[in-house]
Amino acid sequence: MASYRKPIAAIAAAAVVSVTLVACGSSSDGGKGKTTDAKGGTLYYLTKRPAEHLDPQRMYIGRDLADMNRLVYRQLVSFPVTTDKAAAVVPQADLATDTGTSSNDGKTWKFTIKDDVKWQDGKAITCEDFKYGASRTFATDVIIGGPNYILGFLDVPKGKDGLPLYDGPYKNDNAADFDKAITCDGNTITYNFSKPFPDFPLAIASLNSFGPYRKDQDQGDKSNYAVFSNGPYKLEGTWDVAKGGTFVRNPEWSDDNIRKALPDKIVFEQGLTNEIIADRLIADVGQDKTAITDRAIPPAYYTQITGAVADRATLTESPFVDYVLPNFNKMKNPKVREALKLSTNINGWITAGGGDKAYKPAQSIVNPALVGYKPNPNFSMLPAGDLAAAKQALKDSGEKLPYPIKFTYSGGTPTSDKQAAALKDGWDAAGFKVTLNPLTDTYYDIVQDPTADFDVTWGGWGADWPSIATVIPPLFDSRINLTAKSNGQDYGNYKSDTVNSMIDEAAQMGDVNDQAAKYAEIDDQLGKDVAYIPLEITLFYFLHGSDVANYISSPASNGYPELGGIGVKQ
Amino acid sequence: MFAYIVRRTISGLVLLVVMTLVTMMLFFSGPLHPERHACGKICSPAQIAVTKKAFGYDKPVLVQWGQFMQGIVKGRNFPEDKKLEKDHPELVVHCTAPCLGYSKYFTQNVTTLIKTSFPISLSLAIVAFILWITGGVLFGVIAALRKGTIIDRGIVGISLIFYAFPTFFIGLFLYKFVSIKWQLVPTPEYIPFSQNPWSWLTGLILPALTLALFFMAGYVRMTRAFVLESMSEDYIRTAKAKGLPARRILTKHTMRAAFTPLVTMAGLDLAGLLGGAIITETVFNFNGLGGLAVAAATNNDLPILVGLVIVLASFVILANIIVDVLYAVIDPRVRVG
Repeated sequence: MASYRKPIAAIAAAAVVSVTLVACGSSSDGGKGKTTDAKGGTLYYLTKRPAEHLDPQRMYIGRDLADMNRLVYRQLVSFPVTTDKAAAVVPQADLATDTGTSSNDGKTWKFTIKDDVKWQDGKAITCEDFKYGASRTFATDVIIGGPNYILGFLDVPKGKDGLPLYDGPYKNDNAADFDKAITCDGNTITYNFSKPFPDFPLAIASLNSFGPYRKDQDQGDKSNYAVFSNGPYKLEGTWDVAKGGTFVRNPEWSDDNIRKALPDKIVFEQGLTNEIIADRLIADVGQDKTAITDRAIPPAYYTQITGAVADRATLTESPFVDYVLPNFNKMKNPKVREALKLSTNINGWITAGGGDKAYKPAQSIVNPALVGYKPNPNFSMLPAGDLAAAKQALKDSGEKLPYPIKFTYSGGTPTSDKQAAALKDGWDAAGFKVTLNPLTDTYYDIVQDPTADFDVTWGGWGADWPSIATVIPPLFDSRINLTAKSNGQDYGNYKSDTVNSMIDEAAQMGDVNDQAAKYAEIDDQLGKDVAYIPLEITLFYFLHGSDVANYISSPASNGYPELGGIGVKQ
Repeated sequence: MFAYIVRRTISGLVLLVVMTLVTMMLFFSGPLHPERHACGKICSPAQIAVTKKAFGYDKPVLVQWGQFMQGIVKGRNFPEDKKLEKDHPELVVHCTAPCLGYSKYFTQNVTTLIKTSFPISLSLAIVAFILWITGGVLFGVIAALRKGTIIDRGIVGISLIFYAFPTFFIGLFLYKFVSIKWQLVPTPEYIPFSQNPWSWLTGLILPALTLALFFMAGYVRMTRAFVLESMSEDYIRTAKAKGLPARRILTKHTMRAAFTPLVTMAGLDLAGLLGGAIITETVFNFNGLGGLAVAAATNNDLPILVGLVIVLASFVILANIIVDVLYAVIDPRVRVG
C-alpha cells in the first residue's frame, strides 16, 4: 500500500508554514476548474492527518495555519487571496488599519486595530486581546507546541536558562516586564523587541500565534481544540480530534476585503487514507463533487489521472525542501564530503519517489520563492552530479577505499527504501560502501542524538514565513542547536564560527532585503562546507471534485487549497 | 466453581497491575522523547525540560506508576499543582476514579477517550463476530459433510484466498469497489445504534465484512477439521449403529464435541477484536480503540497506551475465564476445579 513517505514524526518536524510557493503553470482556477464567486453550498475537506492544535498560539502546521487564517483567526495583517506569486507574500491590513509602522531599526512595531472588528459573540476585538494572546506563548508549561519566536524577540529579561522571566498569564510572574514590552494605547498596540524584527508583518501573516485571544475564553490546555472566531466562519458544535468538524457562517463577521468566504459550510473529514481520498475524488460522486484535499495523489494512481479527471488535478510547489547532510562528527574530511555531494543520485531519488509529479530538483535548502533566494552555486552540478569528479575527490581524500558510510533515513515505506537505494547506488559507484539504516518513528530521536552512529542522514524543512531567517539560523546556528544531549535541528552537528558570526550580522539588519542578501552569502558558505546537499522541492499533486468552483492553491495558502477563495458551484 | 472464578479474577487483576508497570518501563527504556516532539519545531533544551515537566515525565518511572495507581483508586488532577488549582481552577482537569490518566495530545481524560471509542470497536466486533461465526461454522460443516467433493474443495479454496490476502487489501478493495465505485452501500462510517439502527448496520457492514472474511477462513478450516475428527469417534459410530437420524447425530453429538475448541478460539479472537482492529479501523477511518491505539503510538502518548493495555488485557483475561467456564457447560468431560 503506497503512502506518503514521511512518517508523522518527520512531518511534525518539517510541519511549518511557508508562504513561499510557486504555482506551476497555475491559473486562477488551477487548471480547467469552474470559476464563480457565487456564495453558498457545502465544501468538504478530505484529509488524513488530524489537526494537532486549533489553539491559535499552539498551531504550527502550515495547512492548519493557512486554513484557520481564512476561516476563523484573522490577524493584524494577512496575505491576500491571489495566485500572483509576488503579491501573495505581501501582507495586507486585516484587523489592523494598515500594515504597521516600524522604528528603532526594526525593533519597534506599531499597529492600530480597526474599530468595527468583532468576536463571534459580537464583542469588539481590543488591543488587550492581542496582548493577552501574545502573553500565552510565554506560558511554556501550558501552551505547548506552538511557534515561540516571540520569546526570543520580545524585549523582556531572560534567566540563565535563556527563557524569559515572565512566565505567561497563568502564573504571571514578572508581569511588569511583559507590560513594558507590549503596550496598549487605546486601539494602538506597540511591540518592543530586543533585536531587529524587520520581517515581523510576514511572521504575523504566516503564523496565528501573534493573534488575539479573549481572556474569558481561555482554559489553557483544555482550549486546545476550542475555536472562538473572529473570521467569516465559526465552529459548529465541538471539534472531534479524530474526525474533524464543521464550520458555518459567523454572522458577526463583516467583509474584510481579503476572504471571499464563498461556501456556507465547510466540513473537515480527517483520518482518511491517501488511497481512499484519491479513489473518492476520482469517482467524483455525491458530496465528493464538492470536495478538496491536502493529500497528494499516490504515485500508483497517476495512470488514472487522465481525461476529465486530469482537469481536476493541480500541481503546485510545496514549502518543503528535502536534503541530506553529512554528520560532521564523523565525516570530517572535506574531500569526502565533496565526493558525497558530487555522487548524490538526485535523479534516482526523484524517480523512485514518484517522478516529476512528486518532486522538482532543488538548488538550495532555501525554497526558490523566499525573499532573496539565490540558487547555491556550489550545487550547480546537481541533480546530475559528476561521478568522475566524485571518484577523484574521494581518491584525493587520502582515505582508505571503499569508504564505509551509514545512511540513516526516515524510512518504513517501500518508496523511502527505494529512494535510499537510489542514493546508495550513486555513492557506491563513487567509491563509498553504503549501509542503509531505515528508521521509522524513532527517526528524529536518534538523529538528534549528537553521539548517534551515522555518517549521512536526511532532513526536510520549510520556512516559517517567507524569510531565509527562518531557514538558515534554525538549521545551522550551532549555538542554538548543539548541546551535550541534542543537536536540535542541526542533525549533521555542523559547527562554524564563520557562519555563526554571519548569522549575527544578518540578525542586526533592520531591512528585509539586506538580511536576505546576507543569508544568501551564508548559504554559499554552507555550500562550500557541504553542510547539506539539497535534494528536491516536494510538489503537491492534488485532486478536487467537479463541482468545486474557483479552485486555487495560492502561495499564501502554502500550496494547500486556498479556503479564502474556493467556492462551490451553485 | 465460584472459588475458581474468584481465584482467576484476582490473578488477572495482579497481572493487570504488573502490565501497567511493564508498559511504562518499556516506554521509557526506548529512545523516544515525546517532550521533544510536543515542544514544537524550534525548542531550546530549557523549553524541552519545561515540556517534560508539564507531561510529568521528569519523575522516576516508579513515581509515575505510583501516581497512576493512585489515580485509579482516588482520581487525579492534571496538572497536579495546588497553586494553579487555587488561582486558575479553570485550567485544571479533574479525572475521577478510576482515572487512567490524561492525554496531552487529545487534551482529554483517557477514561473518556476509551468510553467514546469502545462502542465503535464493540459494534464492529459484534457484527464481524456474527458474520464470521455464522459463515465459518456453516461453511465448515458443509465442507466436512461434503468431504472430498468439489463443494468441499471450493469452500476451503475460497476461504484460503481471503485468509491469504492482507486485511488492508480486502478492506481497500471493498471500500473502493463496493462503496465508492458501485455505490452498493453508503460510505462506511460509525453511526451510534441509538441514533439509527439501520445506518449503524450499513455503516458497519464493510469493515465488519473485511474482518469477518479474514477470520471466517480460519473458522471454516477449523470447523471442518473438528467435525471430521468428531465424526470418526466411536460414539458417533455407535449412534449411527443404533439408528439415530443423521441430523440428530450431527447436531446433538458431532457439533457439540466440535464446538469445544471453537469456543476457545472464538472467545479469544473476540476479546482481541474488542481491543480494536487497528488495520481495519485505519482503512475505514473508524475511531475505535484500534484508531486510538494508532494515534497513541504515533504521538508517543503514554497515558493512552497504558489505558489501552489495561482495557485490552482485561478483555483477554475476562474472555479466558468465560471460555474456561463455558468449557464445562459444553463439554461435561471437563471439570473446573
